[in-house]
Order: sequence, then structure tokens, then C-alpha cells
Amino acid sequence: MPQTEEGVAVNRERFIRQRRSDWQRFETLVSRLRATRQPQWASSDVSDLSRLYRSICYDLSLVQSREWGSRLEQYLNDLVAQGHNALYRSAPKSLSVIWDFFAYDFPRTFRRRIGAFSLALALFLIPFLVSTLVAWQRPEVAEMIAGKESLEAASQNFGEELYADMDAKYAGQRSAMAGFYVKNNTGIAFQAYALGAFIGLGTCFILLSNGISIGMVTGYILSAGPPTTENFFSFVISHGSFELTAIVISGGGGFVLAHGILFPGQRTRMDSLRHHGVESLKLALGAGAMLAIAAMLEGYFSPLPISAGIKYLVGSCLWLLVISYLSFAGRGGTASEG
Amino acid sequence: MTPLQKQKVDTRVIVETPEGADFQFVIAGAGTRAVAWLIDRLIQAGILALVSILALFLLPFGEAGAGLGFGGILIISFVLDWFYFSLFEAYWNGQTPGKRSQGLRVVRTNGTPIDPANAIGRNFLRAADMLPFFYTVGMISMLMTRRLQRLGDLVFDTMVIDERREWISRSGGLTANIEAFPRSECPRRFSVPERTLAVIERLFESDRIISEARREEISRPLSEALRKRLGYVDPQPDPRNPHTFFRTQGFRHTMFLLRVLKTFAENPEGTKSLAKNSSEERPTPVVAYQTKRFAARTADFVNSELSNFLADDAADRGRGGREP
Repeated sequence: MPQTEEGVAVNRERFIRQRRSDWQRFETLVSRLRATRQPQWASSDVSDLSRLYRSICYDLSLVQSREWGSRLEQYLNDLVAQGHNALYRSAPKSLSVIWDFFAYDFPRTFRRRIGAFSLALALFLIPFLVSTLVAWQRPEVAEMIAGKESLEAASQNFGEELYADMDAKYAGQRSAMAGFYVKNNTGIAFQAYALGAFIGLGTCFILLSNGISIGMVTGYILSAGPPTTENFFSFVISHGSFELTAIVISGGGGFVLAHGILFPGQRTRMDSLRHHGVESLKLALGAGAMLAIAAMLEGYFSPLPISAGIKYLVGSCLWLLVISYLSFAGRGGTASEG
Repeated sequence: MTPLQKQKVDTRVIVETPEGADFQFVIAGAGTRAVAWLIDRLIQAGILALVSILALFLLPFGEAGAGLGFGGILIISFVLDWFYFSLFEAYWNGQTPGKRSQGLRVVRTNGTPIDPANAIGRNFLRAADMLPFFYTVGMISMLMTRRLQRLGDLVFDTMVIDERREWISRSGGLTANIEAFPRSECPRRFSVPERTLAVIERLFESDRIISEARREEISRPLSEALRKRLGYVDPQPDPRNPHTFFRTQGFRHTMFLLRVLKTFAENPEGTKSLAKNSSEERPTPVVAYQTKRFAARTADFVNSELSNFLADDAADRGRGGREP
């Protein structure tokens, strides 16, 4: 006959008789608490819950060690599972998390992972520069690779004044385009990140192909001469600061993910994946926010019918802003690194 | 681990709580998850259709309105693509409408609820899991992991559990149509030790994958010892209708043990009220190659318990017990 610590013989029936009232109280308590949100739980309920939960954990261990039947074990198992889900959950987070993320966490993670960013930058910038050069010197090669119609259309677009003035047509088209930029560009950036899960190959592919196609257009327009060229560069300089940087950062996130898979170092591969997974997600989310800003700029500011000089000025300031944000934000701050 | 602690042939995982107790989760299968996903996709399509209809009301405002409506639709479809699942999972504690309808929930692999980072991350990686079509990559990954995790689950340390299964008692329906012994049929002692009852329960647990005949064979020694203890003698065949008697002869030991279980394990305040949904017992899938091993292990366990039981019984009698 099994003995409890006090030396009193406890058989299965007596055990069930003694403990049943606690189990039932626990069941009603959990179902009641489930219906209300955690911040509104009464403190007496919470202390009851944790006390009962601990005692039921003990009951479950007892039943498991005494072989008192699988039904009893199953029942207590379910009680423990419910209590576990009620008690252990991530701390409720306030909106200050968002501020902390952009003020400290994102730029810090970026600097910590500057290596992955550099790799992504190289994979984007080198094909971009090469294809720009090729398309500039030999437009016919670019026409062959990227398709004559699309390049000519792009060139013609920038050949004339974009908008004469800000009317209803301007507002309508720009809103639609802003939506399109959010969906398309941010989608590409997130894909560049997620495909890092294939040991970085997917990320490479997206960075390379985007570098080449953007370079082709740039080079082709360069070859078209002054009015087109000026329209084009004054258009892209402002939002380019956020957009191009963000796409490369997102690709860097993909490489962080790949790093976790390929080089676990002292960790187990699973641990390494989890660690790098969270880091890389921060990069992708930060890049997503930057792309939302870029889409608004590209939608509403870049095509404004104002002089190119102002656009160059604002665009340079934005580049400076992005670079100094990424290099200096969150240095020596107080928020904890997460 | 006792000898009969479940060999895992199904999709249960054991999670240890900080309090030191072990409890089980049932991992959701690919089929259920696919159904939940399909429901979520339909809801996404519904939301997009609704937004598009609302955008029609912007048309009277001319080109500016139309553009705004179109841009809005694109942004909503972007949010649905990349954040529908993660927002629901973050705010509904690991559930989306589809998952809720199927009784699924995303939890961390240590059993604790997910936080927003887990939710967003595991759903971003859908973009990798769904390649090249219909989640092929995710499916392969699920086949290769014990917790049926796709890439997003692996990287962000989550698993999808089936919560409805937790509430089904696996041996609840065992003694549904069994008669208890009247006291008069047992002239000697009218009690069975707890441990012996637990052994019988184990023997009949539906995840002990044993054929009926083999179970009868395993039951025989224990049944005979118990008959002696209780002083129970099988009734003679009813001369008017001997048919029933002979039909049940093949499983007389199994039947006897079930009746013992009914009589002594299910006292009114005991486990009877604990067995929820006893009518809903689900058969566990049979894995053929496991059968022999299970039978052998169960037989070992029952036999070792039998010798304990006989020793106890002998000791009782040695003390000049309470036999009539």
C-alpha cells in the first residue's frame, strides 16, 4: 500500500475522494478565468490558480508513479495542460515596444549584423553597377536582355514632364501607385528574407535579379541623354534612400537566417536557428517599415511637379537621414537589448 | 519510465512543466492543418471582396477617389498576404479563425504560448514553405520532424497542437456494457488491490495494440488467480439456451477481467465521473510491426504483476487473513 510523506496509507479511492474538490475548483476557476482578459484577473484568483496548479502537478506525478490507471492520469494531464496554458503566457506588451524597436533594437541589430548586410549589398550593388555600365555603353545589349518594349516605355515615361500640376488625376494615380509599391516592393523584400531559409540561395537570386534589372533601366536611361536622365534621377533619389537600403537589409536578414542554418558554431543547429531566426526577423520587420515610408515618398513626393534642384536637396537629406539613423540610433541608449 | 510507458507510435509529445510534471500534447496532422489553412484562405478572399465592394463607393469622387480605392485594395491585400496569420495568432493566443474551427493552436515547443515575434516569424517563412507549389517544402519538412514542423515552425520554435484530442478519454468506453459482480457471486474476498486494477486497465488501454486472442492468452493467469481470490465460479450453461455460454467461452478471461474492472475500479465517487466523453472513444491507428513487441511487453508486465499479486495474497493468508 503506498504511503504519503506523512506516513498515512493512501489508496486510489481515498486519494480521489480527498483531491476531487480541489480538481473541480480548479476546473471552474480556469474556465472562469479563460472568459476574462488576463489584466482583469482578481489577485485572489491568481494566487488560488497557482496554488491549485502546483498541487495538481504533484497529483499528476503521484498518479504517474503509482500506476493508478490511465484515465485518472489523462484527466489530471488535461487539468495540468489547461493550467499551464492559463498561467504561462508571454507578458502583455504595450505600444512602447514599437518605439523601443525602432529607436534601439533595429539599428543595433543592423550594426551587429553588418557582415550579412555587406554581403547582401555586394550581391546587389555589383550586378547593378555592371548592368548599368553595360546598358549605358551598349543599349542594344540591354534591349536584348531586358526586352526592348519595357525599356523604351520606361525611358519615354521619364522623357516628358511627369505631371504638369497637382490635380485630381495626380492624386488618384499616385494613391494607386503608393498601394502598388507597398504590395510589390515590400513583398519582394520579405521574399528575399524568407527565401534565406534555403541556405541563402533564394536571397541571392532575388538580390541578383533585382540588381540586374534595376541596373538595366538605369543604364538605358543614362544612354538616352539629359532631359530623361535628369527627370529619372530627381525622381528616384528621394525614395531610393529608404527603398534600396531596405531591400538590401532584408536580404541581409535572409543571410542571417542562412548563417544560422549553415554555421551553428557552439550551439546545436536547432538553437542556432532560433537565435538567428529572431535576429533576422528584426531586420526584415525594420526593412518592411522603411519600405512603407519609401512607398509613400515614391507615391506622393518623388513625382511632384517641382524643380529638380529641390528634389536633389531633399533626396540627399533623406540619404543622410537613413545613413545616420542606421549608424547612430540606439547608441548608449537605456532600452534593454532584446 | 515504467515498462509500459507509451512507445510513441502516434503524434503525442511530452512536455515537462517547470513544476516537474509531465503532460502530453497531441500534434496536429497535415490534413487538419490543410483544412484550417483552406478556411483561412477563404476568409482572406472574403475580406478582400468586401474591401473591393467598399472601394466602389469611392468611385463617385472621380479619379482621386478611384485611385485611393485601388491603392487601398492593394495595401489590404498586402497586409492579408503577410500579416493575416500572424496578427490572429498573436492576438488569439496561437489561433486563426481556421485553426480555431479545427481545434488547433500554435504553441512553443516547450508548451508555452507564442509571442508576437514567433507568430510573425513563422508566418513570414510561409513564403519559403509554400514553394514550389502547395507547401511542398513545408510538407517535406513536416515529414522529417517529430513534431511535424514546417520550416517556419522549426526556425521560430513552434508546433501546432490539436486541442480537441486532449479531451477524449482513451479507455473510457471500456466497461460500458459490462455487468458488475454481485457480492453473492464472490463467496471469498470482495476486493482487488489497486495495482492489479491498474494493470488490468493498462492491458485494455486502446493503445495497447494487441489482438483479442493474444489478450485472452495474457489474461488467463491473472484471471485464474483472481477467480481463486474472489471464489468466483463461472455459472453453468443455461440448459434452455446454452448458445450464449458457448459463444463467450473463447473470451471468458478477458470478460472476467473487464467485470473485475467494472466492479472494483469504478466506485461511484471514483473514476467514473472523471471519464469524459467516454462514448467518443477514438480508435488509435494500428501500426502492424509494433504489434508483436507490444504484446510481448504487455505479457511481461502482466506476469511480473501476477507474481507480486500472488506473493501479496500468500502473505495475507499467512497472517491468518480474513478469509471466511
